[in-house]
Amino acid sequence: MSQKKIITHHDVLCPFCGTLCDDLEVDVADNEVVEMRNSCQIGTKKFFSSNPSGHRYLKPQIKEKGSFRDATWDEALDKAADILLKAKRPLLYGFSSTECEAQNVGVELAEYLRAILDNTASVCHGPSLLAIQDVGAPLSTLGEYKNRADLVIFWGSNPVHAHPRHLSRYSDYVRGYFRKDGRNDRFIVVVDPRKTHTAQIADLYIQVKPNEDYELLNAIRAVLRGVELDAKEVSGVPMEEIKKLVEILKKCHFGVIFFGMGLTQSVSHHRNVDTAICLTRELNDHTKFLLTPMRGHYNVAGANQVFTWTTGYAYSIDFSRGYGRYNPGEFSSVDLLMKDEVDATLIVASDPASNFPAGAVRNMFKHPIIAIEPHHTPTSVYADVILPPAFAGIECEGTAYRMDKVPLRLRKVKEAPEECLPDREILERLLEKVKEKEGK
Amino acid sequence: MSLNNLILLTGRTINQGVALEGGKNTKENVRAAGICTFDKEDFKKLDCIAGTPVKVTTDYGEVLVYSTITEEGPHPGIIFIPMGPWGNQVVNPDTQGCGTPTFKGMKAKVEVVKDGRVLDAIELIGKLKEA
Repeated sequence: MSQKKIITHHDVLCPFCGTLCDDLEVDVADNEVVEMRNSCQIGTKKFFSSNPSGHRYLKPQIKEKGSFRDATWDEALDKAADILLKAKRPLLYGFSSTECEAQNVGVELAEYLRAILDNTASVCHGPSLLAIQDVGAPLSTLGEYKNRADLVIFWGSNPVHAHPRHLSRYSDYVRGYFRKDGRNDRFIVVVDPRKTHTAQIADLYIQVKPNEDYELLNAIRAVLRGVELDAKEVSGVPMEEIKKLVEILKKCHFGVIFFGMGLTQSVSHHRNVDTAICLTRELNDHTKFLLTPMRGHYNVAGANQVFTWTTGYAYSIDFSRGYGRYNPGEFSSVDLLMKDEVDATLIVASDPASNFPAGAVRNMFKHPIIAIEPHHTPTSVYADVILPPAFAGIECEGTAYRMDKVPLRLRKVKEAPEECLPDREILERLLEKVKEKEGK
Repeated sequence: MSLNNLILLTGRTINQGVALEGGKNTKENVRAAGICTFDKEDFKKLDCIAGTPVKVTTDYGEVLVYSTITEEGPHPGIIFIPMGPWGNQVVNPDTQGCGTPTFKGMKAKVEVVKDGRVLDAIELIGKLKEA
């Protein structure tokens, strides 16, 4: 029996979460991932999921009489272009799990179609972007935190589950230039309604009531200014504990707040983040303090960057008048779908049927759906056209932005199977097809 | 048995993340995300064994999921469903004008449905297609 030749790729980026780990080692044999090193559980699974499986699309598919049939690229793109051109208010959504070059073509397609253009920030850190537009934000790169931070706060964020290697690469266990003793040189605080696995390894856990982060943040701001609050507790947290926390905040040399969906997806949304930013700014009267959103998808920060430098806006953009207009709440995907305004959807590297509220999905399903999606998902299974992509960062190269907006180059470790193409190429060919049908 | 006046939170878990990368139409995904975790003391009041299906109802819908006891507690009065198709049947779609639905902090009630069948992701979402 002949031994398969194993090729090892070093310093590979992980295309899963916003931590965008860049130290993976991937063993590939016969164009299949056979071993992974340094990656977390989710990253490992993502690389292995690119191998042949029963749930990967290998050829374009068109739905006819309720079931899919294989189609040529030309047929599938023709059908997709028809759907988009017939629609009065098409939505182009997703883009956060693909490379910047594909996002760029997506913007061009949306502008040409006079469509709505949105990315997944719309349902995760969109409120953070709104807050940053309102009050600015003292941000930094992750390397600064690693080397300098002696106080790390995770507010409404559970990196043990959502960003599994964040703690060991940047924020907790890692040794930094000025934090040579790693974990022992850092004080970790977690604020969350649940005593999460991250909270269980923290030095201080503060149990805030759900939907009351805004009140707690403002109470901390008040105490920081020396105001004596006439309350025994705020948001379920005793005043004594708030005072103790304020002292810890003031005494640190370099503090950072990593915040997550606990702030953006709770009541008050962007106002929670707005207040967290104001607290961070005010803490700089006492010591050095910064904050950073814990971005979810590996390139959602890139989607915001690309959309902003091409249209002026980070998400929720309406091109119906021929130029971009921005108004989250009006042009954001869930709001549009809840009002049943969208009459066709092009999904790029996302699964809104799983991740949008049921009412929005119900309305999305009333109209045609085109999915650029490698796997069987609740969105793709109920789509009308499937365009099978190569995995960005595994089967094709590209650029991605880490959660701290540092652009990094994604690596290719294997060839895409059968007829799968990079997202960028699919979108370019779709744009070409749309123009061709319009005689341009 | 049933419990009222609970607060429902949704969010990422590592098992849910692994399962979604491993195939969303799998049983592994149901076990990872088609679940509701309870505070240990709250769960005792339900008088059932872990894994018994429960119906979670909010002002925005209802969904049948498997019950389980949290490893991330105590959090009395709070229940948690991992982000995904099951949780999204019962979340508040209101975005308060910012585009992001209120995925966390819904008032919820729970009742035990011993002979209930928890649907897989494709079946569950398929009901929205039929509706």
